[in-house]
Amino acid sequence: MGDALAIGVEDLTVAYDETAVLWDVDLEVPKGSLMAIVGPNGAGKTTLIRSVLGLTKPAAGRITIDGRPASEAKRLIGYVPQRGTVDWDFPTTVLDVVIMGRYGALGWLKRPGRKERDLALEALDQVGMQEFASRHISELSGGQQQRVFLGRALVQDASVYLMDEPFQGVDAATEKAIIELLRGFKAQGKTVVCVHHDLQTVEEYFDRVLLLNVRRIASGPVSEVFNQDNLRLTYGGRLAFSRREPARSLD
Amino acid sequence: MEALLSWVDDYTLRTVALGSAMLGLVSGVLGTFALLRRQSLLGDALSHAALPGIALAFLFTRSKSILVLVMGAAVAAWLGALLIDSVVRNTRVKTDAAMAVVLSVFFGVGLVLLTYIQRLPDAGKSGLDTFLFGQAAALLERDLYLMAALGGGALLVVALLWKEFKLLAFDPGFASSLGLPIRGLERVLTTALVIAIVIGLQAVGVVLMSALVVAPAAAARQWTNRLSAMVVISGGFGAVSGASGALISSSVPRLPTGPMIVIVASGIVILSLLFAPRRGLVIGALRKRAGRKRLRSEVVLVDLYLLSLQHEVRHPHTTESIAGMRYQSGDVVASLDTLTARGLVARSGAGWVLTETGERLAKELLMLEQDASEAQLAVALAGRAPR
Repeated sequence: MGDALAIGVEDLTVAYDETAVLWDVDLEVPKGSLMAIVGPNGAGKTTLIRSVLGLTKPAAGRITIDGRPASEAKRLIGYVPQRGTVDWDFPTTVLDVVIMGRYGALGWLKRPGRKERDLALEALDQVGMQEFASRHISELSGGQQQRVFLGRALVQDASVYLMDEPFQGVDAATEKAIIELLRGFKAQGKTVVCVHHDLQTVEEYFDRVLLLNVRRIASGPVSEVFNQDNLRLTYGGRLAFSRREPARSLD
Repeated sequence: MEALLSWVDDYTLRTVALGSAMLGLVSGVLGTFALLRRQSLLGDALSHAALPGIALAFLFTRSKSILVLVMGAAVAAWLGALLIDSVVRNTRVKTDAAMAVVLSVFFGVGLVLLTYIQRLPDAGKSGLDTFLFGQAAALLERDLYLMAALGGGALLVVALLWKEFKLLAFDPGFASSLGLPIRGLERVLTTALVIAIVIGLQAVGVVLMSALVVAPAAAARQWTNRLSAMVVISGGFGAVSGASGALISSSVPRLPTGPMIVIVASGIVILSLLFAPRRGLVIGALRKRAGRKRLRSEVVLVDLYLLSLQHEVRHPHTTESIAGMRYQSGDVVASLDTLTARGLVARSGAGWVLTETGERLAKELLMLEQDASEAQLAVALAGRAPR
């Protein structure tokens, strides 16, 4: 069973000060999953992703990627940070940002060349942004910024993708384009884990879900664990979550 | 022109100009990364932090050799950087506060040491205090070799780690997720910045050296949207500021170099903020004005169209009746002139009529079908007719 796991997290505890941000969290993400991490603000969703990426140092716990310690598996992981984490007035072009996805594979002292350029253009085509290749990044809308970040993740050619709120603040067309892309990843046997905020779309977009609030509330196939009881446990009694039909009319 | 040539012929002046251009180039290049990483204040903190290093290096060696003093400065500045970093990491003090504390503490200690040195019987009173405001005239040829070696090394590091530094500046989190050693890269970049600063201290002084880190980069950002071009332009601005500031100060007795260089650099910043294409304030204001003027005139165009619907379309209307359509913020006559210049309206007797293009644009602006019938127009425009 162990070698079928894309991501394995055991007993993960993370603390910034005295209080735990994540407490003794276990997580198994089978290969080829499309998984959502949901939970209230401050539940530790981003921290969990950052821990898997090695950006945050856990107080305790073990993280494996494809059966190997996470620190040895960086090449296998693709990362899509929140859009707001970078300065979109930075002097660089759309194409340049996407090429950055190849920096890890390039290695020291090597400059990106024709091959990296072609890969980046292809990725931009896949996210519908090829005509923006030579634009300065400050000219992009929020949805376009997100597409550029996804293009950068595409050229990484990773087998496991971690995304921090990829659907946040994008329009319906971009949301649809993103979910198509994620399903494409899944079809190729890749694994995708997204921090996700829109409870309405969890059932439509994802096949697995982790309900998180410092502790793991539940984790598994959406059909089994995404229910009222677990949501109430995750968000506390205050949340009146009505199970509405998810919007399926995005076309 | 002759004065210029005689400057270049003058051996001392040539040394001074070359040295100042070199330090401007290096600090301009490294300043770009400091600016983009929102660490512009780091230059200020590090240059001030260098002062006690200079004083201690002199006290220990009793030598005024530039090599010794620059090494002392570099060690102190580097320790300052390390201290800022560890304060930010281990306490709740934020970066700006940590920088301010390190700057003032190190600079204070440096001033105390400098005063102590001035009182020493054998100190040879002149010399070290030029490090406060800089004296480019004191640059010697062998200083240039040292500056070239150190500065060249710093530039080489930037060239070799170009893509890593670029990613570090743009998206450090992503860089780290690729497995790049972020902290190591930060240290190397800081070291290069320290080198850029300490080779400038003799000519520019600890007090104003930071301006040569920030100003060229801030000016260069105005002119380009590409990092490579920005680095080159910033280096160029730094070199020009350094050389011309040093030459001006050398031609006037007792005029310190640092302030002069900073004045030139600031001039470049002001010109860039005002006149750069795309990002400049002047072009921005002009564009805004032109846009408003166009929109105002298009409001008048729509009014004229609405008026014309009450008669047959080519019936002329006077300026007064157009102006009476609504409260106009601006000069209707001016708007009509703009529209005439664009070929959207034309004079007809004592009044104005829409041209065909004008009518088309008016419909477009009102989001009407171009071939709408009069009945459709009446429905679409109900409630929008003039009062």
